[in-house]
This record gives sequence, C-alpha cells and structure tokens, in this order.
Amino acid sequence: MEQKLFVKILKFILVIVVTVLFLFPIYWMVTMAFKPYTEWTAAGGKIFWYPTKPTLDNFRSIFSKQLKMNPIAGTAIRPVVNSLIVAVVGTAIAMIAGVLAAYGISRYKRGGNLPFSLLQLRMFPPIAIIIPIMIMWAFLRMIDTWFGLVVIYGVVTLPFATWLMKTFFDDIPHELDEAAIVDGCSNAGAFVKVVLPLAKGGIASTALFVFILNWSDFLVALVLTDRRWTTIPVHISKLQSALVGQLYGPKAALGVIAAIPPIVFGILIQKYLVRGLTFGAIKK
Amino acid sequence: MAKIVLDHLVKRFGKQTAVKDLCLEIEDRQFVAILGPSGCGKTTTMNMISGLLKPDAGKVFFDGKEMNDVPPGQRGVGFVFQNYAVFTNMTVYENIAFGLKIRHRPPEEIDREVNEVTRLLQIRQLLSFNASKLSINDMQKVALARSMVTKPKIFLLDEPLSNLDAALRNIMRAELKKIQQELGQTTIYVTHDQVEAMSLSDRIAVMNFAVLQQYGSPHEVYNRPKNLFVANFIGSPTINFMEGSFGSGAFTLKDFTRGKIPLSKQAMHAAGQKLTSQEVVIGVRPEHLKIMDRGSEGAGFQGEEDGGSPSGLLAKVVSSEPLGSKTIVYLHPDANPGVILKSSMGSDYRPAIGEMKELTFKEKNLYVFDKKSTELAARF
Repeated sequence: MEQKLFVKILKFILVIVVTVLFLFPIYWMVTMAFKPYTEWTAAGGKIFWYPTKPTLDNFRSIFSKQLKMNPIAGTAIRPVVNSLIVAVVGTAIAMIAGVLAAYGISRYKRGGNLPFSLLQLRMFPPIAIIIPIMIMWAFLRMIDTWFGLVVIYGVVTLPFATWLMKTFFDDIPHELDEAAIVDGCSNAGAFVKVVLPLAKGGIASTALFVFILNWSDFLVALVLTDRRWTTIPVHISKLQSALVGQLYGPKAALGVIAAIPPIVFGILIQKYLVRGLTFGAIKK
Repeated sequence: MAKIVLDHLVKRFGKQTAVKDLCLEIEDRQFVAILGPSGCGKTTTMNMISGLLKPDAGKVFFDGKEMNDVPPGQRGVGFVFQNYAVFTNMTVYENIAFGLKIRHRPPEEIDREVNEVTRLLQIRQLLSFNASKLSINDMQKVALARSMVTKPKIFLLDEPLSNLDAALRNIMRAELKKIQQELGQTTIYVTHDQVEAMSLSDRIAVMNFAVLQQYGSPHEVYNRPKNLFVANFIGSPTINFMEGSFGSGAFTLKDFTRGKIPLSKQAMHAAGQKLTSQEVVIGVRPEHLKIMDRGSEGAGFQGEEDGGSPSGLLAKVVSSEPLGSKTIVYLHPDANPGVILKSSMGSDYRPAIGEMKELTFKEKNLYVFDKKSTELAARF
C-alpha cells in the first residue's frame, strides 16, 4: 500500500509537470500581450511573471496605421482578414474534394493505394519544393494573390482530409447505403441523405483539423505573398524594429488574436464532435 | 408476389468465385431458405437478386422479365439486412417512410401506410423515437417495417434473426411466417441456422463453397440428402458417419471390431446400382441409432428380413447430455476412439461412462454415401 501511494504521487507530479510544460508558453504569450513595453523587453534585466501594470497598448499598436516602432509593418487588420479568407477557402476546397474522394474510395474501393500515396506526398517536406512552386507561381502571376495561396492550401491539406474522411466513412456500414438504394435512392441520393448526415462528426473534426493547418501555415504564406495578402503568421514575423529587436509585446497580442478563430470554430462544432457517429446504426 | 428464376448466375471477386453457376426457380408466394455455412455464397446471391451486385454471368428473372439492368430501387424488393441498417439520424417514422418519400408518395398515403405497418408489427408507440435509441429487438422490427411498407413483390431477408436473443428469435420466427402467409410475398431467407430453415421454408436451397448442393423441401433435404455435406448440415444433433466398404452382400464398417452388416436382398440390389467404388460412408441419424446392453435381445442391426440379428457393433460411452426431452449419448466405436457417434435416447436414459454398449439401428434408416463422390448412393 505504501508503494502504491508513492507511485500515485509520482504520477500526479508527473502530470503536473507535463501540464505546466505545455501550458506555460500559452500563459506566457497571454500575459505578455497585456504587458507594457517596460515589462516585455529584456532591457530591464528583470523577468515579470505576470503583468503588474496590464495595458492594451500592444493591441492598439498592432492595429494602428503605423506601428510605433516599425513604420513599415503597417496595421494588422489586413493580415487578419487575409488569414480568415485564405484559411476558410482553402479548408473548403480540401474538404469538398476530400469528402467526395474519400466516399468514393471507401465505398467503391477504387483508387487502389491512392489515399496512402496522397499521404506520402504530404510527408515530403514542403520546404524542399516551395521554391519551385514560387517560381511557377511567379510565372503564372499568382504571387501575392488570394487564389495563389488558396490553391496551395487546398492541395496541401487535401491528403489529410481524404485520409481522415475515408476512415470515418469506413465506420459507416455500407449496408446503410444499400438500404437506401433498395428503397429507391440513387447512389448520390443515398450519399447525401443517409451517409453525410451520419458523417457530420467526422466532417466537423476533419474540417477543424484542416482549418488549423491552414491557419497556422507560415512557410507557404511567407514565400507566396508579398504585401497585400500576408497572413497572420507572416505578419507576426514582421513585428520587429531595428532599435528594439523583436517586438514581443505586439507579437504576443497578435498571437492571442490569432488563437481566437480556431477556438471559436472548435466551440461551434463541439456538439458534432462529441456525439457518436453511427452509434446504434448496426447491431454491434 | 413474383416468380423468381436464377439462370446460371456467376459472381467472382477477383480470383475467388463466390457463386458458381447457380440455377434456381422460386415459385410465386413461396418461402425459400438459402442455407449454408459462412462464405458459401448466400449473401452474394441475395445481393444479385436485389440488384445491389451485378452478376458476372447469368440472368435474374422476375415473372419472366430480365432484371439484370434494372436498378435495385425499381425491382420492387424489400430487403432486411443482417445488421438492420436502420438510419440512426432519423426517427422511426422517417426510417419507415423513407422508401415512400423517395418515391414521392403523397403525405397522407405515407402516413396511412406507416401506421398500418407499425400496427401490424406492434411498434406504433415508437414512431417518434430516434432510431438510435431502440433496443435491438425493436430495431429489427423497424427494419422489417421499412421493407414492408413499400409493398414489395419480393422479400429478401439476410439472416434477420441471427442477432436476436434466443427467446425473441423463436417468437419472431413465428411472426415472420405469419406475416408472409398473410401478405403472400415471395420470400427468400438467408440463414446458416438449419433449424430456422427447416421450420420456416417451403423449400431449402443448400449451398456450400459457391455451389448449390440441393434444392428441395425440408422433408427432402432431411430424408434424402444428396451428398455428405447436406446430410451433415441438416439435422441437430448432426448425423453419424461411419466409414466402411461394400462387398459380398454386406457393409463392413472399419471402426468396429465386428463391423459387418449383412443386407437384405433388395437393399443389396439398390446399393450396388449406384456405387462407383467400394468405399462407402454410412450415415445414421442420432434418433435412429439406439443403444442397448451387450447381447440383449433386439440389439444389433435390423435388416428388413431379419428383424434383428446381433451385429456386434460395440461402442464405448464417452459422455451424455441430458437435455430434458431426450438424452444425447456420445460414444466411440470400440476399434477407433477417434470417431464420436451420437445417439438420441429417452429422457431418463443414464448410461455409465466407459461402459461398452451395443448399437442397434434399422436398415431403412441408413444413408449410404459413395465415399469418393460424396453422393447419396442408396436409401432403403
């Protein structure tokens, strides 16, 4: 019994340590967003674990027309809007194509090893091919356009969407399709009326996953955008000044703002994530 | 209400042949069971009849009309799946109304039909429930209702009772039969449970390894099985098989020290006709194989002429199963402890384990199978 208690305490401590390790960066970012300049620079030589004089200065500065310490960066409003547009449209492309492809693969077993080879495609480090893509895009005059980004986002996340949705569709027994077909549905009708509603949970969680991938992309946006279509991650990297160095306060502020849409998205679809998908459709 | 004809149906999946050259005729209003072990091709056959699968060769006819290119929704079949396939995102009402809605029936008609069919199956009180919240037994009724409501000409049931608990299975079996007789649908019922097949159907199609083994009434398949497989598959407990050879007017069973069974004249004649080799397998059903104490009167093989001469077929009792209405006794032949024979005795029969008993059976209850071809050679 002594031993068991000891092990339990050890486990508890381990959990605390790991939790702190993971949550600390988030805590750090959130607190830094509200710290005044004097507290977020390292110039003072002192570390402030929490903002003693919380202020909204950082938020104000990133949205001002001219950043106080870096006149070139400009306001963050455009990047926020850009990110939203590009991430949403990119996700939509990946989801629409992915869901349809996944259904076909799941039900008709066509495509052989396509899903897996699609996935392998993704394992190829994007950094290795981003330069050729940039050259292609420049040639096609797609640099710094929303559709230039959106196409890449859609294509790059398509394998994930397909792969994930295929597993969700596999979980829906094909007898349900067949029952609808015998009752007079067309194949497409069976898909839309029976299978899709049952796959809602899968679609929701896959969409969230894909959205987060697109939303947080830095490399592709960095290479393929210039000034008009920068996204949030790229804009954050621009928040620096020659005098001060990295503007951590504003960076943290923008980071906090950037964290909001995925969270909101997650909350909105929560009810689809939680319930079982085909629970009870077949006798298990 | 339609006559179904399957004409040389073939279905392959890659290199595997799931259904080989199947020819079957099902008369109007008949209840036919397709019986066989898992993987024998019965569900594949059903899917070809319903139109969910296209045959690689051969044709399906309903009332003389070729159905190969007709999509399932237009064939007028009702299908009940083994795992029910109830739409869990809809209510019970919506599930049952599904087929009628797809066919654009007016709402009043839909309402009337759904209420009628749920009344018949006694599930009217469940109409507003979400289908995922039902018990398995209710789900099965919903699946049945959904297939019935479009008033199909043909019912296809794919092991619909195999997921129910035993008590309900018996009740539903009777219900199904009653409904089928009332409504008069031609019904095809797939199962691996031979008791179900025997009790429900007008005719049974026994399949094994993609090939139709026998097609006949329950009486026929039981008393005149075409081959070893059918004889073994039908009947519970399973038939006893004893290997031996045929020659000079008698069977010699090889697992017994004194295994000679002399035959009556007409039996010998009938047996000789069809046997292609001397090797035979003798089949005796447990209810025809009785046990007696050694040397007692009436023990031994009873040919038609003899009326019982001690055959000397000795077997040792291994165990017994008192089942209430009867007792199954397991024995092995005295010369071969590897073979197990079953005898169905009365409910009070309690043999001592390890005791040596004498087997007795009548000639007219023997099935003689040609060992090489596995086919039934004679039945006296």
